Amino acid sequence: MNDGPVSTFQFLGLTFSTANVVSGLVVFLLVVAVIFFTSRNLAMKPTKGQNFLEWLIDFTNGILKGSIPAKEVGGFGLYGFTLFLFLFLSNQLGLFIQLATSGGATIVRSPTSDPIVTLTFSLMTLMLAQFAGVRKLGYKTHFANYMKPFVFWLPISIFEEFTNFLTLGLRIFGVIFSGEMLLKLIWELAISHGIATMVVAVPIEMIWQGFSAFLGAIQAFVFVTLSSVYISQKLEVEE
Amino acid sequence: MLSHLVVGQGLYYGDSIFYAVCFLLLMWIIKVLAWKPVTKMMQDRADKISNDIDSAEKSRNDAAELVQKRQAALASSRSEAQTIVNDAKANGQQQREQIVTQAQADVQTLKQNAQKDIEQERQDALSNARNDVADLSIEIASKIIQRELKADDQKALIDSYIEGLGKQHES
Repeated sequence: MNDGPVSTFQFLGLTFSTANVVSGLVVFLLVVAVIFFTSRNLAMKPTKGQNFLEWLIDFTNGILKGSIPAKEVGGFGLYGFTLFLFLFLSNQLGLFIQLATSGGATIVRSPTSDPIVTLTFSLMTLMLAQFAGVRKLGYKTHFANYMKPFVFWLPISIFEEFTNFLTLGLRIFGVIFSGEMLLKLIWELAISHGIATMVVAVPIEMIWQGFSAFLGAIQAFVFVTLSSVYISQKLEVEE
Repeated sequence: MLSHLVVGQGLYYGDSIFYAVCFLLLMWIIKVLAWKPVTKMMQDRADKISNDIDSAEKSRNDAAELVQKRQAALASSRSEAQTIVNDAKANGQQQREQIVTQAQADVQTLKQNAQKDIEQERQDALSNARNDVADLSIEIASKIIQRELKADDQKALIDSYIEGLGKQHES
């Protein structure tokens, strides 16, 4: 959450938020750890870790196959898989660990509770969709799609790209941000009047945490689903 | 709180680049560590399963073919055995008949020979006896008539006499 003082630093003339960089690194390491420990000792007969990994790969491939034709999925499988794993762990991170400096600036929280992060992923998806469209259909056919069903549709098509970019990024941000915000508010309520409010608020906090974990999983799923929809839209010639 | 959303004030573009780089790096790491080996393993498994199904189908067909062959072989060997037994029976029958015929022929020959021999013996004995009787008769007659009779001159006479004797005996 970003309502307190924000710790930032400058690097190569760009401003970085400490919280985002640290949380991002934590999620990065978590993903690498999950992948590393589940992919040891790969065998024809899968064991525990491999089973999980294969299930996850099948799951994300299943999401992609929902909208992208099966023979085109191969190239996007890795993207969908990485995206899902990264977003899922990002969404969950802030629910369990929230660290702040003594000055009150948050250091570790869900990276996805910052719009710049979610919009980065959103932009990445839409750029990938454009790239895939151009690669498959060629520049001419790809950009001709913006003028379907008729030429005057062009502004709407461009505007649609922009709204896709915003909605894809802000949806997940809104859910995760509000989830963490509410967690923090409930916690403040819990400690406001000693034991009496604590008894009432802690169960609510736990329930909300569970619900947020569920929402985080759903949002990661939705993000990958919509990504595959946007990509698939660019892979076909509009009528 | 929403100061981030005010463009130009709180959006840290550095973060955007940081996350993009992180994500690409992560994609590469996942590709090397897990994606390639796992998808390869999954593909291998799918291939193996389909191969196993194919080979199972093949070996089932082979087994069925083998059973058919074996049954055919069994039937043919059965009929062969039947033929052998029949041949043996026919041979035995033939041989038996041959032996019996041979034996009958042998017996016939033996019997004829024996009859011939008997006839011969009888003839011999008869002629010997006739000669002896002739000699004796001549000796007796020469003694009686005190004179030397020439045996050869009287032989025809004596023979006819004995012939008459023999005929009297036979009748």
